[in-house]
Amino acid sequence: MDKNVIPVGPYHPLLEEAEYFTLQVDGETVVDIDLEIGWMHRGHEFMSESKTFTQSLYLVERICGICSTSHPIAAVHAMEDVDNIEIPLRARYIRTLVGELERIHSHLLWLGLAGHFIGYDTLWMWAWKYREPVLQMFEIISGNRNHYGMMRIGGVARDVDPSKISKLMDIMDEIEKKIEMIAKAANDDPVLKSRLKGVGVLTKKDAIDFCAVGPTARASGVPIDVRKDEPRDAYDLVDFNIIVTENGDVFDKTVVRLLEIFESIKICKQCLEKLKTVNGGIRNNVKEISAGEGIGRYEAPRGEVFHYVRTDGTNRPVRHKVRAPSYVNIPTFKASCKGIPLADALITLAAVDPCYCCTERSIKIIDKNNESRKIDLLKLSREKTEQIRREMK
Amino acid sequence: MSWYNKRLAKSIWVYHMSASPCNNCDIEILDLLTPKYDVERFGIKLVGSVRHADVILLSGVINQKVAPQVKKIYEQAAKPCFVVGVGTCPSSGCCFKDSYNTVGKREEVIPIDMYIPGCPPKPEAMIDGIVKLVGVLNG
Amino acid sequence: MDNYTEFLSLMGDKIVSLVQKEKRIYFEVDNQNIIEIAQHLFNKLGCRLSTATATETYRGIEVLYHFSHDKSGNYFCPRVVMTDKNNPKMNSITPIVRGAEWIEREMSEMLGITFEGHPRPEPLLTGNHPQNIKVPLRKWRSNG
Repeated sequence: MDKNVIPVGPYHPLLEEAEYFTLQVDGETVVDIDLEIGWMHRGHEFMSESKTFTQSLYLVERICGICSTSHPIAAVHAMEDVDNIEIPLRARYIRTLVGELERIHSHLLWLGLAGHFIGYDTLWMWAWKYREPVLQMFEIISGNRNHYGMMRIGGVARDVDPSKISKLMDIMDEIEKKIEMIAKAANDDPVLKSRLKGVGVLTKKDAIDFCAVGPTARASGVPIDVRKDEPRDAYDLVDFNIIVTENGDVFDKTVVRLLEIFESIKICKQCLEKLKTVNGGIRNNVKEISAGEGIGRYEAPRGEVFHYVRTDGTNRPVRHKVRAPSYVNIPTFKASCKGIPLADALITLAAVDPCYCCTERSIKIIDKNNESRKIDLLKLSREKTEQIRREMK
Repeated sequence: MSWYNKRLAKSIWVYHMSASPCNNCDIEILDLLTPKYDVERFGIKLVGSVRHADVILLSGVINQKVAPQVKKIYEQAAKPCFVVGVGTCPSSGCCFKDSYNTVGKREEVIPIDMYIPGCPPKPEAMIDGIVKLVGVLNG
Repeated sequence: MDNYTEFLSLMGDKIVSLVQKEKRIYFEVDNQNIIEIAQHLFNKLGCRLSTATATETYRGIEVLYHFSHDKSGNYFCPRVVMTDKNNPKMNSITPIVRGAEWIEREMSEMLGITFEGHPRPEPLLTGNHPQNIKVPLRKWRSNG
């Protein structure tokens, strides 16, 4: 294998999920795809065993910067599952609020990058512009734009200041209007529709076979969502719908994510409303965790985050297993990328939201005659959009 | 050299290199380009190839598998090329310094000229860091 | 809880030991039965494989699969213990559940478990590693 290919893009910034794609093409059609990971492996599971429970929450928060509250929530769920620890009602609402705000910011981030990949830089700038108020809300709630450090075993670390709630509500109303505008613009655009419809289809059978989760599975008609299947925190106290579509193409994945933003806004508003009236503590004092096993999971923006903790009665876990959603979503490329034109490959790869894909992807392409050539996929993808736009005029 | 540096400081083109980060510094770096911060006003531009770059923004604690690639990318850069370590990871290793898969001395892989600490540093801090770099280049 | 009782009545003779908690069930099965259990859980009950966890314990190396029954939110966790620590071997479930491919490759390179019948037994994370590190990455802890 030619090692001179620079892995500019091939990183995947989750736990162990850097990607180095090898696309096999026949002419313009992708025949097979292979990927190599390990560029991001930092050994979280191993390090967690040498840390106390509270310290390991700091560690799991740094698995991924975008899902930086989903991992701690799943980890505290796992640790609380060992002893069936109950948490106060106010803490439940705060957890849900932070988790849903994260979903809004993550989906907007994906929407922007997807626009960037197909040559819609306006969409990118829009989506990221209206993502800023969400980060501002995080700053008001937790004091940091990313890496909030809100989760503790038995509750949350800090309270939401009641005097700030009306301000948070105002920001929420404001971004809802803006996102509605983006959603309408994206839905009405004929170029976007013909560019994304029918591209990179993941069938329902493949989604089940590969055990896909999150929006990737829901766009293929598999109605799974941890928030409904095993409601914890405040998810059984708030009203929301899960979005399921049937086609499984990139367009459907976009639709699922766009509609989920509105559901998240709905949940956030309910939580903020409740936080005005629900009083009480935010954290139960947990002295120790007894020996046992616990499973915790949470619906991250990309799908189910899974944490498994085994304890032996000391203050640190014996085994801490982490499974991030992209770990099961990325292998679906094997099904969704076969037989599609090369120009569609980039957006199909980006469609499962394998975290933030870098601005440039350098992918090694092996032609059937074993000729190795490097193609700028981003350029190719944008050229196709441009072509569709010209044809429509 | 200083004559060249002064010209370099007029319009800095940056290349963003992620060496096993948690992705957070990366989205904050991209955030700099979007309407709220918009550093392109100052001529700072993100480029796709390291060969065009004046400054490399390095994020993440470098793991063993990625280290040779990081080295190779730095070797390809046209010198002088300054390396700015963004975030706590290039500065101190953050919580990953005990891991079995990270390199011990990041400076041996790539010479880092400047650090912007923070987990992640705020965009304002990054702008401040780059402005300080420009000050140094202008002498 | 009823799909637990149904499952236990069908597969009860293959289960060595059982720990039952609210919404979770952990049970130990023999190596030769894991394929049948996986077939039942994945094909008949419609479970989804969340992931698998490999751990070194005093008894041996154990692999714990986590099957999620999404309709009810229940978890089925079959566990296989391999007492031979130096040469652990077990049957692969990848031919039944395609989603198990990556995690079995990862467990194999981390703890040196040989998955018999795995379609692609290559290292996942350490492929093309510059330092040619030897898999498995395990290091035995000293006793105590």
